Amino acid sequence: MRFALAWSSLRRHTTRTLLATLGVAVAAAMLLDMVMMSTGMRESFRELLLSRGFQLRLAPKGTLPFDTDATIKNTSGILTILRTNPAITTVSPVLGGTIQIPRGNRVVTSSALGINPLVQGDYELLAGKDPLADDAIVGNDDFLKATGARIGDTLDIASGYDPELRTYAASRKMVLTGRVRFLYGAADQLATAMRLGTLQQLSGTEHANDASLFMIRIRNDSEVEGVRRWTERMIPGVSGISTATALVQVDQRLSYFRQLAVILGSVSLFVGFLLVTTLVTVSVNERIGEITVMRALGVSRSHIVQQIVMEATALMITGSIAGLGLGLATGHYLNAILSSFPGLPVAINFFLFQPSSAWTALGLLALSGIAAGVYPSFRAASLPIATTLRQDAIA
Amino acid sequence: MTTIEDVHRSDVRRGTPSAAVVEARNLGRDYKFGEESIHALKGVTFDVGEKDYVAVVGPSGCGKSTLLNLLGVVDSPSQGTVRIRGHDVGSMRDREATSFRLHNIGFVFQRFYLMPTLSALENIELPMAEAGKKKGERVARGRELLAYVGLGHRERHRPSQLSGGEQQRVAIARALANNPAILLADEPTGELDAKTGGEVISLFERLNGDGTTIIVVTHDEVLARAAHRRIHMRDGSIVDE
Amino acid sequence: MPLLAALLLIQHPLQRTIAIDERLAEDAHIRIGDRVVVSGAPNATMGDTVIVSAIVKRGADPAEIARSEYRVRMHLDQLQSLAGYGDRVDRFAVATRGPAATEKALAEINASAFGFEAHRSRDIAVETSKTFQVVSRFHKAIGFITIVASAIFLLCIMLLKVEERRRDIAALRLMGISRYTVVLSVVAEAALLALVGSALGIALSYIASTFINWYYQGVYRTPLYFSLITPPILTLAVVLSLVLGIGAGLLASLRLARTPPISLFGR
Repeated sequence: MRFALAWSSLRRHTTRTLLATLGVAVAAAMLLDMVMMSTGMRESFRELLLSRGFQLRLAPKGTLPFDTDATIKNTSGILTILRTNPAITTVSPVLGGTIQIPRGNRVVTSSALGINPLVQGDYELLAGKDPLADDAIVGNDDFLKATGARIGDTLDIASGYDPELRTYAASRKMVLTGRVRFLYGAADQLATAMRLGTLQQLSGTEHANDASLFMIRIRNDSEVEGVRRWTERMIPGVSGISTATALVQVDQRLSYFRQLAVILGSVSLFVGFLLVTTLVTVSVNERIGEITVMRALGVSRSHIVQQIVMEATALMITGSIAGLGLGLATGHYLNAILSSFPGLPVAINFFLFQPSSAWTALGLLALSGIAAGVYPSFRAASLPIATTLRQDAIA
Repeated sequence: MTTIEDVHRSDVRRGTPSAAVVEARNLGRDYKFGEESIHALKGVTFDVGEKDYVAVVGPSGCGKSTLLNLLGVVDSPSQGTVRIRGHDVGSMRDREATSFRLHNIGFVFQRFYLMPTLSALENIELPMAEAGKKKGERVARGRELLAYVGLGHRERHRPSQLSGGEQQRVAIARALANNPAILLADEPTGELDAKTGGEVISLFERLNGDGTTIIVVTHDEVLARAAHRRIHMRDGSIVDE
Repeated sequence: MPLLAALLLIQHPLQRTIAIDERLAEDAHIRIGDRVVVSGAPNATMGDTVIVSAIVKRGADPAEIARSEYRVRMHLDQLQSLAGYGDRVDRFAVATRGPAATEKALAEINASAFGFEAHRSRDIAVETSKTFQVVSRFHKAIGFITIVASAIFLLCIMLLKVEERRRDIAALRLMGISRYTVVLSVVAEAALLALVGSALGIALSYIASTFINWYYQGVYRTPLYFSLITPPILTLAVVLSLVLGIGAGLLASLRLARTPPISLFGR
């Protein structure tokens, strides 16, 4: 009966209820987006880092992977050291560089990764084959588009461009064997991958045994921190970056978005709360006579409170459910904007949907709905019956 | 025609058995407006017996409605006591008073005060739902009461689809929903024309004839004449009976 | 170019001077007159000893937000020597006499230059501020959603406000006041309410903006303004609330003015 009464009083002013539901829906959508953003980008980055099972990365001391042009010398020596640790199951060395591909009268510049194709964790093969041979190269869609090349084509690959002399330090012919998607690639970035040795050769004698990064798989997650400390002790000049430390770095760099999420999320929640409180207060004021009569008939205070809180919560929950769809749509749109963030992997989802995000948003809104109904309901249920009826009759 | 005996299937009354349903002793009610104190009711003493039909009459502001509020347990006396079926209702706390009203008092108001969004039947169901009765029982009793007040064919109608007289008859049916010890009516014909007012008066007579104790506050001479007893009030006191 | 400079406090006397930014001075406790060693690699054993001659304020550069690098200014030849750059530079900044001269210089340099290319400063600024373009697009999208939410909120409040006046409107109509006057009075009230609300909103936004700037300037240690309330933004806010307020007032009052006064009382 209480539910029927709550429902019927919401239906009494359809336009008003619809507008309030719409208002709550927009606030809920914003709240959901902000909850998704506050946890999503961190979770998405964590998933990305662990997507190929590499829990530890070694980068030149004091830098993040590919944050600078600095490299780690003596790759083969480091590999030998790393293989002595039984907790380490896989090591994937990676060298970053830039290559040029002359195409007619223009030169296409692309980033290149030197990898071990058997244990690489940088790309996903979409078509063709991995670059197993020394003269094999794979590229992403942007690279294929910019060069107009197809799988099987032979390309002139050069590196070490000297702008003064307009010459290259090294060049060779390579066969495009595959189309790939780079896991850590930024938006619109032209990227390729080849064997580590090939890129080291192309980069010149100075970088013949260099790597930018070592990606390491460890037997057990519990051993990651121990191995990290061990690598820093055994290999001077490198920083061991575990998923946890990388997340701390990301948190620092993207703290603005997290704070923005908290502020806008709180504002959305408050706006939703304010809207429902206002609406329910006005609605209760309009029905003060009816509510007092219910009290006179013997309806208890708690049941009056329950009925009004139910109205507020119903408004909030209906709006929130509508807001869920709206929030997913706006989240998708906002994510598309932030995915073009320079220097960030395009695979990072700023607005990662997790059921827990939806539950958190819904829970917060339901709580604020209850809070929104509490004040007007207590006020209405506490009015003196005789006096209120007299005043209502006079009105 | 359904009789009130059919309607009052379970006439279980709580409290100590007593000859009088209502015992008012030296009742007083003061209101404070700033520094000023107004004595709305002074030393009112009377009894209402089982199956009695009492009309409280008097000029506006004489304390009729205040008396009705005290008898209806929606207000507490400043002095004196009110006992209904042996229960001292004047000293009850809100929770107790609410429960007492639900099970023992039936209210009829001048402005009907039906829930506009509920049907006639649902309006009658409301006090029964509050008393924890099951849906089937509520609907069955609601239909019996609607039939009793002559509105069996209007159960699905909303208040806005009913005439004033019909609305008041639904309100009376609602007041009877939980088999109250007394039916209290505050100007029940105040918003009705002579014809529909007459229908309500006839209904009260029938109700009383079928055993319902009724106390009605009114300016309506016809309604007052229909009652078995008339209590005349002036300036907060009973001046004549 | 990325600056590979390791700084160590030492005691050797030397003539060359450098300027460092206030963040580095604060974090490394360096003062004017201190001698430091600068080198081109993180673990270099050798380097140049220089004197800190100036501490400079960091520019309000959006591209530096959330980056914790320090900035050191030194003589070009010394940096070339430290970084092993020879006689090379990353870029030349060229001042011209005006837009026409810029276009002419650009064309001439690009036609005759060997090994480098000239760009307009504006184009470079656009390229380097991509981060903020993304953030700006994001803010605009969020702003749009906020405006939609505010619009619905305002519409709802105005409808409630007018609904509250049912009995007053009924009384006015019964007294013989025309529909036009009733609608006009409600709309005027709505407009006034929207204006007062806008004024309060502007005051609130000034407080919020001051707080945001104070907080983020502290967090990112930058003089950059994070929140600016500009006349176009103010105009948009006021016009929007006025249009919505008046629109909602008009809709609600027209509906009430068309309803017979007796029905309005009957609710």
